[in-house]
Amino acid sequence: MDNNLEYIDAYFQRMLEPEEIRRFEQKLAEDPEFAEEVAFYLAAKQGLKAEAEKEKKERFKQLLSQQAPVINIDRERNTKRIWMYRVSAAAAIVVCLLFAWYFFFSSSASPQQMADKYINDNFKDLGITMSARLDSIQTGLRLYNDGQYDSSLKMFETISQRDPKDYLPKKYAGIVCLRLGNYEKALQYFRAFENDDTLYSNPSLFYQAVTLLKRNQSGDKQQAKELLQRVVKGDLDGKESAEQWLKKL
Amino acid sequence: MNLFNKPTLSTDERDIIDSITQNGAGRKKGEERLFNRYAYFIKEAIYKHSLSEEDAFDLYSDTIISAIEKIASGSFEGRSSLKTWLYSIFHNKYVDLLRKKTTNKNSIHHTLSISDLLLQVSDQSKTIVQKLVDKTDWEILRERLVQVGESCRQMLLLWADGYSDRDIAGLMEYKTSDVVKTSRLRCLEKLKQLYRKT
Repeated sequence: MDNNLEYIDAYFQRMLEPEEIRRFEQKLAEDPEFAEEVAFYLAAKQGLKAEAEKEKKERFKQLLSQQAPVINIDRERNTKRIWMYRVSAAAAIVVCLLFAWYFFFSSSASPQQMADKYINDNFKDLGITMSARLDSIQTGLRLYNDGQYDSSLKMFETISQRDPKDYLPKKYAGIVCLRLGNYEKALQYFRAFENDDTLYSNPSLFYQAVTLLKRNQSGDKQQAKELLQRVVKGDLDGKESAEQWLKKL
Repeated sequence: MNLFNKPTLSTDERDIIDSITQNGAGRKKGEERLFNRYAYFIKEAIYKHSLSEEDAFDLYSDTIISAIEKIASGSFEGRSSLKTWLYSIFHNKYVDLLRKKTTNKNSIHHTLSISDLLLQVSDQSKTIVQKLVDKTDWEILRERLVQVGESCRQMLLLWADGYSDRDIAGLMEYKTSDVVKTSRLRCLEKLKQLYRKT
């Protein structure tokens, strides 16, 4: 058997030691034949995965055909149309009432709404720069902006493992976790660069506060408040929003 | 009390998730139960989004396949109900489908999506490896997969579907995961030789 395949398999199964990983990557960069082997391994796995999915789809198709007919379009559409009119009318009334309530009775947004607004305004798309050095970061950001959050997270986690001192992949990994609703992990990533004093502007505390407000569990609001106070006191990243939020909390 | 922080999975949902996570013989059953449970999404996609039956089925089965992958890898944490979570994947895929249709990229030049494994490779070599992967003739690879023999084919498909060597040993009745690993790499080598003969 070709030993290269075993070696490549061990690399992608994350079974190699850091020094072996370094040697593997060096060999990959310098040896075109080895690069071909690696490409075959990846291509085969990718192609096989597509094949496995195709077979799964066939199986699902059979399952569906065993179920009662999924559609009876003509009959159900008419019934559905009548219901749609009723539901739309009811929805319109509810929306009007909600607007009225919002303008007349509600003077401030809830902590979760404030966090939601911040996340939607700032984390919907992440800016991509043209720096060549940060190629992997750019790939991660592109994946994020395409909505491929899981792949994007894997990317940032891999970069972070490779360069544990760099705060940027941790910051982005935290943002992805926040979008995915994995608040505990988001907090871990944001806390990881809290004490990084090499940064000109460190958003760690503010991002932790956003995460806590979004999570909104018991005690989160108080903890977020304390973090926001530290942001204002230390003149840190997010100070302006922190000042406004503290008035509302 | 914040109701949204309460565990939201029903016993049945938890049961489906457990059978998929275990990756053993029960996984296939779990996958089928998951598919059947929310198959009415297909009907909804036809009515609500005016999709053809075929598109609606593709959309739903892609959703289930993606969900299975996430559940098996432990990415689903049960912070929302299975239905809510599945619906968000379903909706995202619907948006992707619309985007593909409007940009006319739909299946004319079908290429396989970027492998997550490639993300592991250092920047220095990523581009070159990606270029080499892009050169792959997928049709020939598929043909050669038939020629490696049924046992090899089944083993390689299970591997690509995320089953570990230990899971495969259980499913295909091999003695140990080490035996599976050796056989799997031998099968992969066979596939490579067949592919390179072309």
